[in-house]
Amino acid sequence: MKKEAVSISNLSFSVGGRQLLDNVSLSVEAGSLTILLGKNGSGKSTLFKIISGLIPYQSGDVLLFGRQRKHLNYKDCAQLLGFLPQFHKAVFPFKVREVLLTGRAAFSFFAPGKEDINRVNAVLEEMEISHLADRSYTELSGGEQQLVMIARVLIQNPPFIMLDEPTNHLDTYYQVKVMDKLQQLKQQGTTIFCIMHDPNLAALYADTCHYIEKQKIITWENQSDYGLFLERIYGVPFEVLDFRQKKLVTPKPFHL
Amino acid sequence: MIFFLKKFLIYGLPLPLLLFSLTIGPADSFSFQVYTDWFRYLLGWEVQPSPEVLIQWNILENIRLPRILLTFMIGAGLAVSGGALQAIFRNPLVDPYVLGISSGSAFGAALAIAFPLISINLSAFAFGVASVILTYGFSFSNRNTSIVAIILSGMIVSGIFTASLTVVQYLSDPYKLQAIVQWTMGNLHQASWEKVHIAGFSVLAGITGIYLMRWRLNLLALGDDEAKAIGVNPLRDKILLVGFATLVTSAAVAAAGIISLYGLFVPHLTRMLVGPDNVRNVPANIFFGGSFLLIIDNLSKSLLEFEIPIGIFTMLLGAPFFLFLLKKNKVNWV
Repeated sequence: MKKEAVSISNLSFSVGGRQLLDNVSLSVEAGSLTILLGKNGSGKSTLFKIISGLIPYQSGDVLLFGRQRKHLNYKDCAQLLGFLPQFHKAVFPFKVREVLLTGRAAFSFFAPGKEDINRVNAVLEEMEISHLADRSYTELSGGEQQLVMIARVLIQNPPFIMLDEPTNHLDTYYQVKVMDKLQQLKQQGTTIFCIMHDPNLAALYADTCHYIEKQKIITWENQSDYGLFLERIYGVPFEVLDFRQKKLVTPKPFHL
Repeated sequence: MIFFLKKFLIYGLPLPLLLFSLTIGPADSFSFQVYTDWFRYLLGWEVQPSPEVLIQWNILENIRLPRILLTFMIGAGLAVSGGALQAIFRNPLVDPYVLGISSGSAFGAALAIAFPLISINLSAFAFGVASVILTYGFSFSNRNTSIVAIILSGMIVSGIFTASLTVVQYLSDPYKLQAIVQWTMGNLHQASWEKVHIAGFSVLAGITGIYLMRWRLNLLALGDDEAKAIGVNPLRDKILLVGFATLVTSAAVAAAGIISLYGLFVPHLTRMLVGPDNVRNVPANIFFGGSFLLIIDNLSKSLLEFEIPIGIFTMLLGAPFFLFLLKKNKVNWV
């Protein structure tokens, strides 16, 4: 039997009287790269926040590596899970290096140690953002900030990484760079779970793609017609192209 | 070069300044011999002072020295707690005054002056804590606190305690009223060794706590979600740090009254000097915050014939200086 990083059953969640998730089940296999897609406001980020413990869930079960999410404390979490929230705003003009160091706060209480600083330098290099190290975080472009926050999650070195729209704001080079990096981490045994908006990027990298549609989670398993499947999710007609045994899509704009 | 200048300004200045401040006071200036003899006496040398010199020593030892120490401690304390609160609430507009801690402590202290049931310090601390809880509680909705909501509720809590302070003043007899009014203007001229001892413990304890946890301020300054995302409970750190800041502020307010805005602008000055990283910013606040208030106090003692209350003088001097730096550095807050 395959090991599961996340296993959700019968989870329902509503906020402000609006049902976001209705009795959903989901499992994310350990050591896989899994991607979650869906329309804006369909509850993707909410699901991520529930799994990562930012918001409590009302009913159902959420298991993280076989343990009930509710019963995990912060310390356990720091060792299991790194999470990239969708929005971040910094107020003070911290240097990138200082922002990255905070990623080690769960491990060093009073001050970062030499080990923490080495880890920061290593990740800066891995992500090819060493040139940003001494710049103010607040002065960076949206894409550069995104890279820094992804690096901050990697610094924690968790076995399970959840990223809410990691390719947001990134140019094509860094989109590929980040996704390649995630793939590489996966090959080293890390479990990756991402929210994305681009079905093509998802198809190129994901082992499994889940979609949220009408409060339910559906998994795309090469069933039926891919174009029709996506049209059902997004409400736009798609044309399907074959590319190296993968199916890529392009939306058919209404004026064509 | 600029680097060394900054280092000196922060770490080199305090000691010479402390010594120099001993020479400032309303009494006629003492001869140099008086100081050197006094230091020799303090170091345990045999010195035979004349009765006149003995009076001057007494002034140095029991009037000027405690005042200098108290001023430095209060300056350091207000700057450190202001800087910490700005990081915790992720808000460069916050200080102990804006959050209502100062008004709460002032009310508590005035209450203890008017109705001496418990000590001024204890009462100031209790009401300081109460005001933080109220401010935070009012702004807390939907598991999040917005920057604007904190300022708003801080202003309201501050207003409630300021109004209550007026009620206490209204009910007090004229003698106590005078003491309360004098004291709310912020004064250091009643400094004594007793005040140094009482305030010293709380201020030092609070500053030590914030100093030890200074790196965690960086994490808190990034936001709650960013802390939870990497497995740190921000609430525990916040409670500890706000507790330390309140301890420091209430002790400072109990000892010297309200010195408003000092905790707001000194952290901005040190941020311009050493950057926002709290690992360096907190020690800078301790030393520079202490020195700067001492400079202000020296000026308030020596510029005019009469002494201007420190709280008022800080405003008059500090506010234009801060505005000047703000314009010069073109700081843009998003």
